[in-house]
Amino acid sequence: MTLANQAGMTVAKEGTNMTVAIHTDIKEPSAVEGTAGLEEKVSVRHLNFYYGEFRALADNNVNLYKNKVTAFIGPSGCGKSTLLRILNRIYDLYPNQRAEGEVMLDGENILSPRQDVNLLRAKVGMVFQKPTPFPMTIYDNIAFGVRLYEQMPKAELDGRVEDALRRGALWDEVKDKLDASGLSLSGGQQQRLCIARTVAIRPEVILLDEPCSALDPISTAKIEELIDVLKNDYTIAIVTHNMQQAARTSDFTAFMYLGELVEYGDTTQIFTNPKLERTQDYITGRFG
Amino acid sequence: MDTHEHIVTSYEEELSSLNNRIAKMGGLAEQVVGQSIDALEGRDPDLAGLTIQQDEVIDELEKEIEEQAIVMIARRQPMAYDLRQIMAALRISTDLERIGDLGKNIAKRALAVVGEQQPKQLMLGLKHMGELALGQLKEVLDAYIERDADRALKVWYKDEEIDAMYNSLFRELLTYMMEDPRNIGLCTHLLFGAKNIERIGDHATNIAETVYFLVHGSAITDQRPKGDNTSSTPVPIRSAG
Repeated sequence: MTLANQAGMTVAKEGTNMTVAIHTDIKEPSAVEGTAGLEEKVSVRHLNFYYGEFRALADNNVNLYKNKVTAFIGPSGCGKSTLLRILNRIYDLYPNQRAEGEVMLDGENILSPRQDVNLLRAKVGMVFQKPTPFPMTIYDNIAFGVRLYEQMPKAELDGRVEDALRRGALWDEVKDKLDASGLSLSGGQQQRLCIARTVAIRPEVILLDEPCSALDPISTAKIEELIDVLKNDYTIAIVTHNMQQAARTSDFTAFMYLGELVEYGDTTQIFTNPKLERTQDYITGRFG
Repeated sequence: MDTHEHIVTSYEEELSSLNNRIAKMGGLAEQVVGQSIDALEGRDPDLAGLTIQQDEVIDELEKEIEEQAIVMIARRQPMAYDLRQIMAALRISTDLERIGDLGKNIAKRALAVVGEQQPKQLMLGLKHMGELALGQLKEVLDAYIERDADRALKVWYKDEEIDAMYNSLFRELLTYMMEDPRNIGLCTHLLFGAKNIERIGDHATNIAETVYFLVHGSAITDQRPKGDNTSSTPVPIRSAG
């Protein structure tokens, strides 16, 4: 008997394609155990996403809870990064890409054409897989974004830069060389600089797209520690290919496959006793 | 339970080697328990001696399983069903090692009572109890190999029978001792032997719990019927003469 059968759920058949539902028990994410009483910061409902004619996401339903970390796992091409890119509408920058459905941020649908995307991106910050510091000083890397949204005296800006670098766990390493180029930092430091730059704008949600994939274990540990600290003030979504990282850093985990959200639940449950065989096969490295 | 194979072949091989070690250890534990009861019943010092030696192999296997599990946790970072398989192997090996020790202890008692006259009725009761415990052990090990939680659950419920037998043997032994103080030496050894068998049954139920956890990822929620009430049984002392 398979795990999935025991749980009384449907299992994907071989050769299932994206137009057929692989699994649909997460129509209502808030029914997931452990979510009672949590504040829904972002709620995604019936979300479809298209690259031209190609449907990359099919009827996704998931929540991001305030002050919680939600991890998105799944094989390459399953739609994790696509989903993240929708949450701050980065996809708007590209032609022929469109999203259908609802993505509610504090009760407002951010997919609405009336949504001010610049304001949205200030609220929903993003850090990418490859560190992307601007070719300017460490100080300006942080100050650049702040200046875009706010006018303030130099002294106050200095304070904001220091605060952001402290939150990015980078201050002690760079406080004596704020005029050095951001590009002179190590990979791990550059990534923390990018996180600090995101934090400086005082977002509400932080999206991390494989933030540690190019980093050594020490830098990775620093970023993971940072995630633990940052979640006290922000809502965090992280895409990662590292199962252990998802297990270590997140409160909730969503497993995606071929553009569908297959299983979504409490991280401990997903990694010790997943309900569906497909989830189990993926996280344990089996042929599915 | 059927699961797909790992993409990494060596991981699959390590898990199956862990499985095989538990199976081997289980087979040896069955042997030690069976032989120790035979040795006690047949007053066979040679079989008792052999059984005591065999327990060392069980101890050795437990160490190997523990080492392998630690290495696998460190190198593979197992998740979900794999993690449960490794945790189950660790727990079961601990139970089997204790079962081996209890068997060894029965064999030692067999050596101690070799020359004594043994009342047939008592020995029969002890042997029957031993067979029941051995049956439970075999059944739960099969349930482990087959990953069959329902079979494990049956073992779990059946332990009550061993407890009931232990209760009646306990009373019988008390009666013998009270009848004639010269029986006390032998009966004490037999009483400990019976207690050991009862505890072997308890370890079999532990293994049943582990098998259930391995398959379902959760503990058995039911309350197990408990039949051993000898701990609260008063012993009437009659003054001699």
